Amino acid sequence: MRNWTSEVRDRLARLEIPPTRHAAIAEEVGQHLEDRYTTLVARGMRPESADRAVLQELSDSDVLAREVQRIVPHREPDPDTLGGGGRRSWLEALWQDLRYATRTLRRTPGFTAMAIVTLALGAGATTAIFTIINTIVLRPLPFAEPDRLVRLWESNPEKGWPEFSASHPTFLDWRARSRSFERVAAQTPAGFTLTSAGDPEIIRANAVTEDFLPVLGVTPALGRNFTAEEDRPGGRTTVAIVTHRFWQRRLGSNPGVVGTTLTLDNQPFEVIGVLPESFAWGGDRLDLLVPLAPDPARSRADHRLLVIGRLAPGGTLEQARSEMNGIASQIAHDFPASNQGWSVRLSSFYDWLIPQPTRDSLRILMTAVALVLLIACGNVASLMLARGASRQKEISVRVALGAERSRILWQLLVEAMLIALIAGAIGVGIASVSTRLLVAAGPAAGLPRVDEISLDVRVFLFAFATAVLSGVFFGLVPALQASRPQLAGALKEGSRGDSGGAARQRLRSTLVVAEVALSVALLIGAGLLIRSFARLQHVQPGFDVERLLTMRVNLPRTTYRTGPEMRTFYQRLLPELATAPGVRAVATSSGVPLGPGGASTELSIPGYTPSAGVPVSANWYLVSPGYFAAMNIPLRGRDFDDRDVPKPDGSALPVTIISETMARRYWPGVDPIGKTVAISSFGGQTCTIIGVAGDVRNFGLDAELGPMLYGSAMVFSGWNPMNLVLRSALENPQSHVEAIRGAIRKLDPKVPIYDVNEVADLLSTSLGPRRFNMYLLTCFAAIALTLASVGLFGVLAYLVSQRTRDIGIRLALGAARTDILRLILGQGMMLALTGAALGVIVAFSAANTIENLVFSVSPRDPLTFIAVPAVLLGIALIACYLPARRAMSVDPLVALRSE
Amino acid sequence: MRWRESQVDGGASSEQYIAVKYMERILDREMKKGSAELVVLALVEHRARHGYEMSQVIEERSEGAVRFRVASLYPLLYRLEKRGWVTGRWVEKAGQRRRRYYRITPAGRKVLAQQRSGWERFVGAINRIVEA
Repeated sequence: MRNWTSEVRDRLARLEIPPTRHAAIAEEVGQHLEDRYTTLVARGMRPESADRAVLQELSDSDVLAREVQRIVPHREPDPDTLGGGGRRSWLEALWQDLRYATRTLRRTPGFTAMAIVTLALGAGATTAIFTIINTIVLRPLPFAEPDRLVRLWESNPEKGWPEFSASHPTFLDWRARSRSFERVAAQTPAGFTLTSAGDPEIIRANAVTEDFLPVLGVTPALGRNFTAEEDRPGGRTTVAIVTHRFWQRRLGSNPGVVGTTLTLDNQPFEVIGVLPESFAWGGDRLDLLVPLAPDPARSRADHRLLVIGRLAPGGTLEQARSEMNGIASQIAHDFPASNQGWSVRLSSFYDWLIPQPTRDSLRILMTAVALVLLIACGNVASLMLARGASRQKEISVRVALGAERSRILWQLLVEAMLIALIAGAIGVGIASVSTRLLVAAGPAAGLPRVDEISLDVRVFLFAFATAVLSGVFFGLVPALQASRPQLAGALKEGSRGDSGGAARQRLRSTLVVAEVALSVALLIGAGLLIRSFARLQHVQPGFDVERLLTMRVNLPRTTYRTGPEMRTFYQRLLPELATAPGVRAVATSSGVPLGPGGASTELSIPGYTPSAGVPVSANWYLVSPGYFAAMNIPLRGRDFDDRDVPKPDGSALPVTIISETMARRYWPGVDPIGKTVAISSFGGQTCTIIGVAGDVRNFGLDAELGPMLYGSAMVFSGWNPMNLVLRSALENPQSHVEAIRGAIRKLDPKVPIYDVNEVADLLSTSLGPRRFNMYLLTCFAAIALTLASVGLFGVLAYLVSQRTRDIGIRLALGAARTDILRLILGQGMMLALTGAALGVIVAFSAANTIENLVFSVSPRDPLTFIAVPAVLLGIALIACYLPARRAMSVDPLVALRSE
Repeated sequence: MRWRESQVDGGASSEQYIAVKYMERILDREMKKGSAELVVLALVEHRARHGYEMSQVIEERSEGAVRFRVASLYPLLYRLEKRGWVTGRWVEKAGQRRRRYYRITPAGRKVLAQQRSGWERFVGAINRIVEA
């Protein structure tokens, strides 16, 4: 008898089914045939006839094979040729897909590199900005339970001081009466001259109350905190806790430092503790803490304390606010002379340390960089679409061989994910490098917490999520497109794989329009910041910035107890310096433009009626004679001179010089010289105005010009530390520093100078935050513009290559080459124009978000809104011209023959 | 059923032969429409059977008029199995080779009931036309 099973097996040999199934079917059907044969023979048929009859049964074995193939799942396919899958675990399938994706991507290195670089740029920039935001805005502040920390101010909105320092007695009242705080503490900056060893050095200290460290949740790493006894007037206040940095720098990291002595302002201070390295208050310039010893006897009008509190467990800021408001009105009621009109203001540490403008500008940068990422995704999606078109045949073959659509879709998505993840990894690298650059620029940018910036788990999660999301974003639509092939058309030899090509081209065009729109919006934003910055650089500071040196001079309080003692020092120093070689002019001032030392005062002006709610006030400096000449500030009337210096009989003419803005505001249309003004800060003295000085932008080029007045430093001589301003004739004003130091040492070797700055540098630094925002936004806009142009170019180049035949026919039928040029340029520019128009609309409606970042330019500045789209269209024209030129040079013969 | 009446015992005239052939073609078509499924489901309704047994029963009950070739029977069984209407299982009996037995599933039972009533309505309708 014939072996029917092997007979069947042979006939089903070509089946693409799992081998075990193949064998089972052969066995089952073979058995059937064998039974049939046996039956026929048993019925009396001759074996040969029975054999023939049964063989007849197999005559349509091809039908059997076809039917079985249709029903039984395919054999596990070779991944390179088939897209189908048997019953495998999804992990296995994923691994196979990844290997397949890697092979596929490696076959098209140009596409792969382009896609990865584009995305890595977007992801890198996004991750870099996120790193900064993560640290500054999202990471908790470096204090124990930072949510419970509160900043408290005295507040007098009517006088224009919504947030003002607190006085000693008011602070003590707050501390004694409040119940919503676990503790309330105060601090104030204090300067000392350290003379223990080597050159005298200015020490940056903070005078703090004993509660200060507990409020922040800090305990000294060595030694102990201040005691109540050390923190009261008349107590043993000559103790100090040094910072970790100071301990390393000046005390040689001596572990036995507790109990040793430092000479500060000629007084011995006992070191009682060392702060931990992580102590994050006052930046890295703080050297030590001393007791504040708040004094209830001090004036309530003397506001100089920074007050902080830690909320009681479970307490809220709102509860504290309402309690403190009650306490403040009680104080105002009890002490009307000093506290009338004064209330209290509270804010969380977070709102205080990370101010709204910083958060605003970071948010704008994050939005901008997210747009760049979107544009990058758009470009990669467009690339994928074009690639999907050229892979149409491959996909069709896989579908024809039985791959399910979901399977192909998944495969294409895996490819997209692979690109996204590689780009994400490179993006983290880019982010790490650019974050370092940003951190280097950070202090100049005025960003808080810059020293804390680092990559952390959250950044990596962010980068990963960004990569996956963008992978889905740029991968899904092209994958949906590509996995829907029309077999017949695509499989035909020589076909352009163009089924669904129109839809694909439409999709790519839409992407390009969106990219152009986003780029235009970004470019307009960048344009506005650039215009603001240019405007700002044309703002006149009101004095001559060049070759102007400033520094601070601190006269130790133990030697210079009175104003006249200080005046004598400067009266001897200034002539000495003025005659030094290379010095054009020298003067002193209590404050310098863009530097510290400003103060403001209330005024009483005879004959001027203030409008309700508007304070009559001015900022003021004390300056020596010759200040205006040294600064090159124009002056009408006369400068301060010896006439103003107190006579031996104690009398002096109380005089003042005011600014142009002050003159215009309080004496409109009148020459104020010879008029009088009573100045609270000068002891309420009525002063005669002897001169009007030009306006100076003391608080930054972008700050409002307010009223400003000057008093003579020879009359009001107790201000310490003073600033020295020196106009040099030399190319490098810094070269005077040694001579100045020498001159001062000759007068008093214990007087230090510090904070030496060229005003030009200060000015440049003051523009730092704007420059930072402008550079970043411009950088993002440039990337966006490049990507969008590349996208436009890609779409047109593809279009031309698809339409080569069409163009050839047109040319053969007599179309002029310029017609072809016009045709292609027209299509490209239509996309660019649509995008530009949309971008202008987007930028116009989003203009309010950038309002705080622009200076003296409207956020809907017509020039920017016209110039930016024009520039973009120019670049778009170039991007379109290149493919159009290729279209123009199509040889009709070659084009027609090519298919 | 109607087509049984065209059966003849012993030798067949050419006329009769044509009739049978014709019926086979109809049956073939009907099978594709689902009557073949009905036949198989009905056969395994009360007991599990292997493929050859089914073909024997069909041949016997139709008195040779209906025969399933392996090329249609087994793909049909696999299809029904894939749809979950029958399940196939290799069964070994002492002294015999193992055989694959098919039994109906609850889902198959529902389908069988539907197909059976559909078929009866169809045949009834045809009978009413032909016998009128």
